[in-house]
Amino acid sequence: MGDRIPAGGTTRCDMPFAVETRDLTRIFAGKKRIRRKRHASEGEDGSGPVTALDHVAMEIHDGELFGLLGPNGAGKTTLIKILATLLLPTSGEAYVAGHDVAKDPFPIRQQINMVCGGETSGYGLLTTRENIWMFSQFYGVPSKVSKARIDELMHVFGLWDKRDTKVRMLSTGQRQKMNMIRGFVTDPSILFLDEPTLGLDVNAARVIRDYVMNWVRKRTGKTVLLTTHYMMEADEMCDRIAIIDRGKILACDTPANLKRMIRHDTTFRLEVDTLHDVTSFGSIRGVKNFSHREDIATNRAHLTFILEDESPVAEILSRITTQASKVHSLQKSEPTLEDVFISMVGRGLE
Amino acid sequence: MTEVARRNDLRARIALNLRAMVGRAYPRVIGANREPSWIIFEAFLPLLGIAAYVFIYQALGERALANATDPAKVAEIQANTNALIASVVLGGTMVAFWLNVLWSMASQLYWEKEIGNLQLYMMAPMSRMALLGGMALGGMFMTSVRAVSTLAAGVLVFGVVYRIVDPLTLLAVFFVTLIALYGMGMMFASLYLLWGREAWHLSALMEEPIFFASGFYFPIGGLTRVPVWGSAVAIAGSFIPAGLGLDAMRQLALGPTAFGGQMWLFSVDVELAILLVLAVVFLVLARYALAYLEVLAKREGKLTSRHQ
Amino acid sequence: MSTYWRTFKVAAWLGWEMDSNWTEPWLFVLYSILKPVAGAFILVLMYVVFATIGNTEDPSMFAYMYVGNAFFIFVASTLFGTFQVIQSDREWYQTIRYVYISPISYYVYILGRAASKVAVATFAVVVTLAFGIAFLGVEMGLSLADVPVLVAAFVLGIAVLLAIGICLGGISFLTAKHVHGLAEGIPGLFYVFCGVLFPLSALPEWGRSVGQAIPLTYWFDLTRRILVPGTSIDRTLNAYDDLTILLLLFASSLVFFALSVIIFRIGEYVARKAGKIDMTTSY
Repeated sequence: MGDRIPAGGTTRCDMPFAVETRDLTRIFAGKKRIRRKRHASEGEDGSGPVTALDHVAMEIHDGELFGLLGPNGAGKTTLIKILATLLLPTSGEAYVAGHDVAKDPFPIRQQINMVCGGETSGYGLLTTRENIWMFSQFYGVPSKVSKARIDELMHVFGLWDKRDTKVRMLSTGQRQKMNMIRGFVTDPSILFLDEPTLGLDVNAARVIRDYVMNWVRKRTGKTVLLTTHYMMEADEMCDRIAIIDRGKILACDTPANLKRMIRHDTTFRLEVDTLHDVTSFGSIRGVKNFSHREDIATNRAHLTFILEDESPVAEILSRITTQASKVHSLQKSEPTLEDVFISMVGRGLE
Repeated sequence: MTEVARRNDLRARIALNLRAMVGRAYPRVIGANREPSWIIFEAFLPLLGIAAYVFIYQALGERALANATDPAKVAEIQANTNALIASVVLGGTMVAFWLNVLWSMASQLYWEKEIGNLQLYMMAPMSRMALLGGMALGGMFMTSVRAVSTLAAGVLVFGVVYRIVDPLTLLAVFFVTLIALYGMGMMFASLYLLWGREAWHLSALMEEPIFFASGFYFPIGGLTRVPVWGSAVAIAGSFIPAGLGLDAMRQLALGPTAFGGQMWLFSVDVELAILLVLAVVFLVLARYALAYLEVLAKREGKLTSRHQ
Repeated sequence: MSTYWRTFKVAAWLGWEMDSNWTEPWLFVLYSILKPVAGAFILVLMYVVFATIGNTEDPSMFAYMYVGNAFFIFVASTLFGTFQVIQSDREWYQTIRYVYISPISYYVYILGRAASKVAVATFAVVVTLAFGIAFLGVEMGLSLADVPVLVAAFVLGIAVLLAIGICLGGISFLTAKHVHGLAEGIPGLFYVFCGVLFPLSALPEWGRSVGQAIPLTYWFDLTRRILVPGTSIDRTLNAYDDLTILLLLFASSLVFFALSVIIFRIGEYVARKAGKIDMTTSY
């Protein structure tokens, strides 16, 4: 970074972690509703407080590419916002680069940056290059350095020919590439990426993934916290992954170790006609957990079963056929991160 | 921290905040160049509203002149009408700055939240005052064009005559008023971190009522002529720095004897002193209010929630 | 027809929610009154200052200004309520593309969105007039025989304001976010040329001609003739009787309406061609 300001304030010098949280909890109060309270029993607005993070304890090492894997609403973005000094925890502690996010945000801000998927940052009237330059100025990067980095990153991300295009004329993928460059241009030590490939085409997503992986692995002292609900992305990119659901960290390990957690289990995937009742599968002896997803377009259901062994398969098939449903495919497969998730919470990531 | 480290720290912080100011001012200046339609919408058209107030005094003056035969009375009516029109033109000039404070500074943070930029600003290490300072600096170009057009239209189109005897003091009053106004804008901006659409409506509410209470289109001393509540409104209105600033500028541009010397709130010296105090107080308050309300907004999760 | 009505109803509901649901009802009512009443008070003080300095009272002129200003609330609110639909949907809520492509009449949608502003303006006008009568000695009189003409003038006046608003909406398609400049500037145009606050005779010859080409001039004149018959301080339109003025208002409204539709369509066409329908331009 350009003019890195010496850090001071509340630090934990004994801590080797880029990010550490302890009992981190964030509760959102129900939003105050004006005028239209229908029932007195509804509370302020009919929705009570929401616990977005529930006693989260997590440690991310310096130089690590760490993934947070969880479905929508799991608490991933809330956690990123707290770590990026945008939101205060309700209780617990969080440290970024050794500094307390609640008490000492300034030195943290000098070392971080954040990119969110689908964000619409900047001003439509500025060109891509101008927009990124403007944000770099908020981090004190000297103009010369900033412009050189922008040009270099634009080549890397394939945005060079759009350097003088106004931001409002960029496509979704181009805009997201611009956002990524905005994140890297300040050369942060810790980068928070919140669903960075959301809605992007395969090529654009590939460019971003490759750059992020190289950035962490080929340079020292660079840490990335990546949130995603694409299990392939997490599996491919991350050194370690925390699985998060409903504000709680359910497991945290390397992708291989996480998959090893269910190595004694057997995974079966089935494609069948739409089913009327799926709840009864849980009561079959030997079924550890299962997920169920309806595909409205094809009128079919996709089932994933985590089984102790292969013995319940017959019973499962029998229950499907008694519902007059046809089995289109049955496949035994290697465990994926999604299977780990299913085995823990009983539903898929989508 | 050693002395050297402290000095380096200070130097780095100043460099950071100066760069941030320039960075935030840039889109405003560039935007003004790339979308020149603002010259019509933000500078030319608003002149018409001010012209309407000028015509009111002209119409009142002409009707008074129609009944006057005594040459001394005619001269007095003409002088008073000129002074009132000059007051409107000066008020119209300051309206440009007041509206800039309201819409391009105070409520801008709310707007930034709506378009998704605020979280990126709040995550950056620069001072929030530098961010707002950059907005003010960038907006100053457009605002100044409008202000200068108003003054020029007053002199060239409406034939307003000013009698400036102390231009230095006039400039001093003008700049202190601006600093106090923008300090106040920064203070409001901090409130807007916490608010949603209330912020937008508060800005809307601070147009006509403030134009009235701060005497943008008439000498503020006129309020003291209204029994019972007039003086209270004038005092309240002078907390908006534009009220006192305009009163002092009118005295300096028209001469203290204009309107028979009976429409001024305080002397120029007193008003300048109060403005200086207001400038310092508002800037300091803005600094602390921004820090405090940022924490509050972070606690309530309102820094990043859009469409509140 | 039912589609138009449904569109209008939904748009009016949306406009009302946007205008009002940011606060408690009592605060919204206060807000709706405070702004226009303060606007009226600016004129009161301008008059007080002039009367104090010159030692001359001019109640006819004061009533002329006061009533003109009260009805001007319609101009400011209706115009703003109409053209800001484009800019707020485009830049603020960023929903314009979804509304624009839906199978509804966009004109009806805009009119529906403006409806709440007209309703609130009506309330503010009534409060301002009542305040003037009760506390400021503005003398008003309305004979029953004049009510049909007043109502007809009112309907035409609002219709022409909506038409002008739609025309500005068409222009807004092509410009950057200038909500406040437009909100301040365009009403200023009518403030100056339509005999709202001062007689047309105070304008130069060319200004009077401009004024007589704008329907709002006839609306203000007719409304004032009926509501404050004693304040005929403007002689510019004295040659016409009430019905002729109404006819002039009707004819000029038709011209304005046609013009506004044409300008809106041109704006919309050019915006689509240039890809500006859903642009964001804030800086």
